[in-house]
Amino acid sequence: MLRLPMPWSKKRGQRRLGNPSVGIAGEVAFSGAAFLSGVFGLSLVLISQFAPQQVPEQVSSEALSTSLSSWVIGVVSLAAVMIGAMRLVFRVMHLNASDEMRSVIATKAAALERLAPGQGGEVGLPNVPRGKSITDSPGEYLCYRLPVVIGEDGIFGPALLALFWNTAWIILLAVVVSGFWIGRPRWILAGLLVPFALIGRWSFLYFLSQVRQRIGVGPTVVEISEHPLKPGGRYDLFISQGGRLKLKRLSVELVCEEETFYRQGTDVRVERHQAFVLGLARQRDLEVDPQVPWEQQLVMEIPANVMHSFAGTHNAIRWKIVVKGESRPWPSFCRNYPVVVHPPG
Amino acid sequence: MAIILPKLSRRRSSTGVTSESQPAIRLTLCDPNSMYLAGGELTAKWRISRVQVDELQGLEISVLWHTEGKGDEDLHVHHFQRIGDAKLREIGVENEQSIQCVLPAAPLSYHGQLIRLSWCVRVRLYLEDGRDIVSESPFYLVTQLQQTPCVANSGEEEEPLKGASDASSVAASRSAQTRSVLASLRR
Repeated sequence: MLRLPMPWSKKRGQRRLGNPSVGIAGEVAFSGAAFLSGVFGLSLVLISQFAPQQVPEQVSSEALSTSLSSWVIGVVSLAAVMIGAMRLVFRVMHLNASDEMRSVIATKAAALERLAPGQGGEVGLPNVPRGKSITDSPGEYLCYRLPVVIGEDGIFGPALLALFWNTAWIILLAVVVSGFWIGRPRWILAGLLVPFALIGRWSFLYFLSQVRQRIGVGPTVVEISEHPLKPGGRYDLFISQGGRLKLKRLSVELVCEEETFYRQGTDVRVERHQAFVLGLARQRDLEVDPQVPWEQQLVMEIPANVMHSFAGTHNAIRWKIVVKGESRPWPSFCRNYPVVVHPPG
Repeated sequence: MAIILPKLSRRRSSTGVTSESQPAIRLTLCDPNSMYLAGGELTAKWRISRVQVDELQGLEISVLWHTEGKGDEDLHVHHFQRIGDAKLREIGVENEQSIQCVLPAAPLSYHGQLIRLSWCVRVRLYLEDGRDIVSESPFYLVTQLQQTPCVANSGEEEEPLKGASDASSVAASRSAQTRSVLASLRR
């Protein structure tokens, strides 16, 4: 049975929703129109400045009467000229080039700037991340102390949300109170105060939980005997968890994660999948004292047939050591320590 | 136990329909198993038939890797050669030609859940009427230690936790999984 493609679904594989040349023609037409309208607007501004008597009668005399309106129209027209011209040149340059040719041109251009993803890797290991920052810090017990990656559940976003939302709520409250004060009550705004207050309360509590998590859970130290890692290799690992904690569970894992970026409409979406998980340590009902941190020396053996670290433009394979804890009264925490795995040999 | 590798598909034509009147590109790799060691040398032979040399505008041969899967495609050309119409007339397209290149150390072939990383030799033939015809010959880039392409776990079930020293059993289970994935690919 023939399945019609749905325009709102993500394009997969080689399926196309129409002839690609129609899209190219549309893009060229739009860029050309932007360029020409920009030239027209810019010409009008220049004529009005240097030969005002030559401005056509159809153009409103108020449009270019002040210097501010001239500037606005001039800047917008200049932007339209530049955007239109750049898109036109880009499209024309790509008209008769294959994907491979474009890739070669991009690689050569980037080699000059030394910025291409393919060139950013280790010498002789293209598209394998360098991971230089990982070996910046020497360890106390083993060779290197691994840096922690601040997760996406950072404190900055919740803090901003709580601040702006509650500020807006207080302004709204002031407007409502002033309405009652002058005898013209705003009932709709007053009604909105309650649901808005609930959202404000939730955002503030979420911010507080993030603060508690950050302050309450002590530092986690991860040290490793060697870096970069290689499949089939055996490495020593030292883990230390500080703070005053009563942990229900603590686990240490080596994780290989596939990370992929794709466009869906105007959004760029990220999807992650744990391709490989190797449990290194797991302990239940653990008590950590500030004077006596929980410390563990582990041996980590990486299987031979695993993929190395990889960093493309839209796809990546990342390796990391993950320390996860479930604790009370503090919320659970999860800390990631990236490592780089090189191909064997 | 012998590892049975999947038979890699070869893309014949960009139109998807190959008729007797259409030009044909024959592309053959030097290794019949399509397995190449990272840092090793690759030789591929190509020949064009069912077309007059006057009808050709040019030809591009690339050795490249590209990603497939859920994300947007990444593509990187490792070796690129463009042959113009004058050079094509000189060498004669009916004769078998060959290209050689030394493969890089990375990235290796990979078959994951979200990402598949595939290597191939691609020949793109440009005709005078503006059409282009593509033929691909995929191959695996592996290492001496990993003599099969890396295959990811399903990720739905965690590896059993028996301590870090049990990694060899994990490797054995992964090797079996590799074989089953390759067999399913072959089917």
